Amino acid sequence: MTDFLGVVTTRHAYALFVLLSAIGLYMMIANENLVKKIIGLNMFQTGVFLFFVTSAYRIGGAAPVVVEGGSPYVSPLPQVIVLTAIVVGISLTAVGLALIIRLYSEYGTLRADALREVVGDE
Amino acid sequence: MSSDRLDSTNDDTGVARQRPIYSESQVIMTTVKAVIPFVLTYGLFITFHGTSSPGGGFQGGALIASVVLMIAFAFGIESTRKWLSNTLVVVLATLGVAIFAGIALVPMLLGANFLEYTAYYPLLGDALGLKRYEFVKYGMEAVEIGGIAFIVAGVLMGLFFALAAGMTPTSETNTVGDDVGTNASDNTSDADDATDGGDRP
Amino acid sequence: MSDALLPLLIALPLLAAIFPLLLGLRVDRAGWPVAMATSLVVAGLATRLAWAVSPWSGGGQRFVHDLAGYPAPYGIELVGDGLSAILALLIGVVAVAVVVYARTTGPDSNAFYSGYLLLVGGLLGMVLTGDLFNLFVFLEIVGLVSYALIASNDDGRAAYGALKYLFLGTTGASLYLIGVGYAFVATGTLNMLDMATELAALGYGDPMVQAAFGFILIGFMLKIAIFPLHTWQPDAYTYAPDTVSAFIAALVSTTAAYALIRIAYDVFTVDFFAANPLITDAVLIIASVSIVVGSLLALLQSDLKRVFAYSSVAQFGMILAAIGLQSETALFGAVIHLVGHGLMKATLFMGAGVLASAYGARTVADYAGLAKRAPITAGMMAVAGLALVGIPPSVGTLGKWFIALGAVEEGSWGVAAVIFLSTLLTLTYIGRLLEALYFTPAAEPDDADVAADTADALDTADSSVVADGGVDRVATERIIVVAVLALSTVALFAAADPLAAMLDPVFGRFFK
Repeated sequence: MTDFLGVVTTRHAYALFVLLSAIGLYMMIANENLVKKIIGLNMFQTGVFLFFVTSAYRIGGAAPVVVEGGSPYVSPLPQVIVLTAIVVGISLTAVGLALIIRLYSEYGTLRADALREVVGDE
Repeated sequence: MSSDRLDSTNDDTGVARQRPIYSESQVIMTTVKAVIPFVLTYGLFITFHGTSSPGGGFQGGALIASVVLMIAFAFGIESTRKWLSNTLVVVLATLGVAIFAGIALVPMLLGANFLEYTAYYPLLGDALGLKRYEFVKYGMEAVEIGGIAFIVAGVLMGLFFALAAGMTPTSETNTVGDDVGTNASDNTSDADDATDGGDRP
Repeated sequence: MSDALLPLLIALPLLAAIFPLLLGLRVDRAGWPVAMATSLVVAGLATRLAWAVSPWSGGGQRFVHDLAGYPAPYGIELVGDGLSAILALLIGVVAVAVVVYARTTGPDSNAFYSGYLLLVGGLLGMVLTGDLFNLFVFLEIVGLVSYALIASNDDGRAAYGALKYLFLGTTGASLYLIGVGYAFVATGTLNMLDMATELAALGYGDPMVQAAFGFILIGFMLKIAIFPLHTWQPDAYTYAPDTVSAFIAALVSTTAAYALIRIAYDVFTVDFFAANPLITDAVLIIASVSIVVGSLLALLQSDLKRVFAYSSVAQFGMILAAIGLQSETALFGAVIHLVGHGLMKATLFMGAGVLASAYGARTVADYAGLAKRAPITAGMMAVAGLALVGIPPSVGTLGKWFIALGAVEEGSWGVAAVIFLSTLLTLTYIGRLLEALYFTPAAEPDDADVAADTADALDTADSSVVADGGVDRVATERIIVVAVLALSTVALFAAADPLAAMLDPVFGRFFK
């Protein structure tokens, strides 16, 4: 990390990936509301997707649809990885929200610390 | 149309629960009525044009499902659920899986590898007038449109109604009208889950 | 020809998963026949694959199937060698056993059986794939369906356990994805064997390679439930329905551990560990801590399913230690222990389910004197418990023996001491269970009321006379399944040589 300014100006997307993932992880850990934990999980996953898409980019690259005389193409493989991972993330959010709805209708609370006490007592 | 009152019902544990509100809004209803044909067309366009431009089965299927979601928000979730029969949603998702598996497994019967579209060439090349390599393009499109778009649309619609049903407190399920105990409304696909959101006595 | 088995093994359960839902539109209870038929077919195909891969059939020892015909670095490969075939066979056998068990117990909805078949398909996909991102997709499928299945009864606590598992499991899978991303950026390929050569060319001292392994390791530690990342396991296993507990405890962490073995030895080879002694030491230390803490925490629990859940933390700590030891003997012990632990935990959870259904017994105190009323079930649970401790002749003995032998061979006396200590601790909590079963007099005679109350709450539509003379609400087939699995853990004591023969080509490649 000798050239901090250099890293920030040229590889800012990777720094942003670390920042997004860290914020998402912190939200999952520190926030007590269950829905906000799910939002934090989504943010963490979005950071990971940003990493993949950034790794695919080439300066001056075109979309990876082959045309005559096309300039260098950006790599399509990480984009496909991110597409699949987004779908996985959607299903996880759906299952998580369904479970939260069940928990709310059963216990009447959305707070994780209250749930920890109630479930631990049973 | 049952319009739920905003009230907090206290059950025996003394916890106040809120019921979801549906209020008729003329603005939303008119806007949705005007917009959904275009959204549906756009979703179909993205699905069909997936091999030449950004898009494909996932995105198109989500857009098609969002049409039903918009109708549900505009006209009430209960009436939309009654209109969109359960059978349609289940058949949509399972038909998608069946088509995908069919297109993928038939090449194995013909001796080639799994999902090898060019194996269809000896069989269908003359009938459809396609060259060998063109089968890859059309095979992929068939899987995307007939498989993935169906699955995603069916699962998202089914999940939405299963989740929305879970929002009503268990003591009030009879006033809401139908029993979500029909587990057929929980849909599955290879990339999605099997939530059992409505299996309650 | 035999490589066509690989996509069939994965695609058939996934395709069959639609039939319970589709038939459920017409017929009410269509789930069980479909699940039973598919599980039998899957078990048969897995046996065929194991036989084709074994040295006695004279065929190839490693089958590769390129999806869509695209060759290796460009396409996704499915790979079946000795290690994959052994685990596929385990998955098939446990799937059949749990389906037979689930006929009269547990959730009966069509969605449950659809989810069950999806889970079998996902597990087989994890075991048979040769591509790193494909492994992530199947890992997430397995996770998703597990979260849904754990919450598939009416218990609110089951939803809590499933949600906790969801958060931690998804974080683990995302960390694994970050690791794969780092490795992909460093090498440009996702195929496992191709990446092995590329990583070797890059040099194992490269920070990118080390970071990739670090993320993959932590991601799998969350999925396998190694201390201190195990906190989801006790709640998820305890509150889930008994059928689901047995299936998930036996198979989900097992396939995650297999995936870690595959990645650690096939992608990052033993040379990587030799070049990074810090990583090897860290793995051994974390594993040792997990072994000790898991066994200690298991001692403190009173609910029996919780005891078994914490015991899993310790057993998988042993498997992680075997991975870190870099010794062929220890790895052989780890594979035996994976198979044996799957069968033992399935027996224990299913037995606990039988006793809970018949007598409402959940805690160790409830088990007082049950051996007189349920002799067969109690006996089989005792057999499986003693196998878990490692008392010969049982498959648990083999696993622990080879891992400890490997530790001594490598000079890691600390790991050997920790394994010995954990055996003593396991003996303590299994001994407590046996004492409650056999040597404590039964509680007051209102047990009959307790049993009748709990039995009324069950689905008693199929109550056949039970073979052990207890409360007549437990179907015979459940007890038969428990007995068969328990006896198999003893019978597999003789399996050391056949398994060694099957694993020989694989280990030859790992440890060349």
